Amino acid sequence: MSSKQVAMVIDLNKCIGCQTCTVACKTQWTSGEGQEGMWWNTVATAPGKGTPKNWENMGGGFRNGKAQPGKLPKQTEFGDPWEFNFEEALFSGDQHATLGPVGEEPDWGTNWDEDIGAGEYPNSYFFYIPRICNHCTKPACMEACPRGAIFKRDEDGIVLINEDHCRGFRFCQEACPYKEIYYNTVSGTAQKCIFCLPRVEEGVATACSRQCPGRVRFLGFLDDKDGPIYKLVHEHKVALPLHPEYETQPNVFYIPPLAPPSFDDEGNPVDDKRIPIDYLISLFGPEVRQSIEKIKAEREKRKRGEPSELMDVLISRNWLDMFGPFTNQPQDVAKTLEERARG
Amino acid sequence: MQSLNVANIGGYLDPASGEWRDVPGTTVEMVPAPLGLQPTDYIIASWQDRPYGEVESLLASSVHDGNRIAIRLDWASARPNTGAGEGFPDAAAIAFPVRGEPELMQMGSEDAPVHFLQWMARKNMVRSVLATGIGLSVTAPSIAETVAAGWSSGRWTVVFTREMSGTSDVSSLSPEKNSQIGFAIWNGANEERAGIKAVSPAWEDLILRA
Ligand code: SF4
Ligand code: SF4
Repeated sequence: MSSKQVAMVIDLNKCIGCQTCTVACKTQWTSGEGQEGMWWNTVATAPGKGTPKNWENMGGGFRNGKAQPGKLPKQTEFGDPWEFNFEEALFSGDQHATLGPVGEEPDWGTNWDEDIGAGEYPNSYFFYIPRICNHCTKPACMEACPRGAIFKRDEDGIVLINEDHCRGFRFCQEACPYKEIYYNTVSGTAQKCIFCLPRVEEGVATACSRQCPGRVRFLGFLDDKDGPIYKLVHEHKVALPLHPEYETQPNVFYIPPLAPPSFDDEGNPVDDKRIPIDYLISLFGPEVRQSIEKIKAEREKRKRGEPSELMDVLISRNWLDMFGPFTNQPQDVAKTLEERARG
Repeated sequence: MQSLNVANIGGYLDPASGEWRDVPGTTVEMVPAPLGLQPTDYIIASWQDRPYGEVESLLASSVHDGNRIAIRLDWASARPNTGAGEGFPDAAAIAFPVRGEPELMQMGSEDAPVHFLQWMARKNMVRSVLATGIGLSVTAPSIAETVAAGWSSGRWTVVFTREMSGTSDVSSLSPEKNSQIGFAIWNGANEERAGIKAVSPAWEDLILRA
């Protein structure tokens, strides 16, 4: 365990599935060679197969503290990257050309099963679930590596791969129960989310958090009593880790989604349980019941005009309040760094 | 095994070279590297019910010319695996004790390192590596190592060459003193890598004929 731990809370009630976070991350970190099929941030529709396809059935993590075998995810399960025919579709003057992939028709990719979800009309349901590496307190990836190439920083708990040490053995990929590690076939090394380390070190929020138009992603240190993370995870106990049964102790937490009403045969709203609670329990553990009840109760309070600290935090009227100590503006930091470099 | 003294190893660089026909080979029994010695619980948990290191033996032969030594390995492999893209490559290694009395299975220790040359079918490359234990290896100084490999009719043949003189981290080989050698084989098709491999259970004597 590290002395300090950065953490993220993702409010699933606010995520609109726009993928701005995904693209922000892609642009910032994975536009290099061998990274074409890499998505350190993904947003998938739940219920769904996710990225890589059916990752929840691939094993890894721990059970009663014992390391569990995992499957090595294949590139095709993440989805082979493809190029679009922008040139032809947009600039060729051909009125009938439509935008599509170049070459072989792909049959899987990240976010492939977008908006499919589950349930029967009119009671179908889905929600979006953004994912990154959880920078776990007990990282299965780190414990699996025979070369000690993965480490967890003491000052902030960020889990990093030392690519100078990595030999591309990929035991980490198998062992991570969230399948958050990618293999770069060009460099022959494993790569994953670095929690925007160079930004965070300068007090700037992660790209996925800052770019999010939905104000979905809170940041901070887990033990900072004045920050949003502590309030949501420890004080109000509404933010929960995904699949706690994998026993890696993730440091990304989720505000579970509240369901819209279900309708009866006549189309009348009957209850607010359209998302089956058992499904949510399968994702977030039994604590999800209390979390949902708590959020509902606090909503009611606000409806009655009473104050609610929890609702204030979740609404996040002041954007920068979401980011704990990481409120520096990138442009200011860039200026300071330039000045520093000039001496 | 013995290393025959020849005028020049130049004719032996290609594993398919006819010159090798006159060089007697030694059959080396191979065993799976022990599961209990694997460095992480994860590797033990994921391989305990999975066979690996199934190459039962390899045929080793060698020649030297006083300056350089060539060592040829020949083993059964149903199909060649170059490990292109995301696959794992077939691979082989020859190991030498550097100083002290390193345990081959343990890949040496701090005081008694093991030097090895590893060939990988991916890009047909060879690496010079110094190990001071399992999972503890760093790039070793070059000793002008080369490798050539070929696969045909269900067998890999690989010829390693290196200088016979050593450095502080590479043992020197000479007809004056007895040397030792160890072997490892990785079957890429079975996702074998790192400590998941077939090894010779103990050091073999390597006698260089004068
Ligand atoms: S999510 Fe996976 S890759 Fe990230 S720290 Fe946890 S075990 Fe490691
Ligand atoms: S940018 Fe925000 S709202 Fe858009 S998908 Fe990502 S987390 Fe959801």
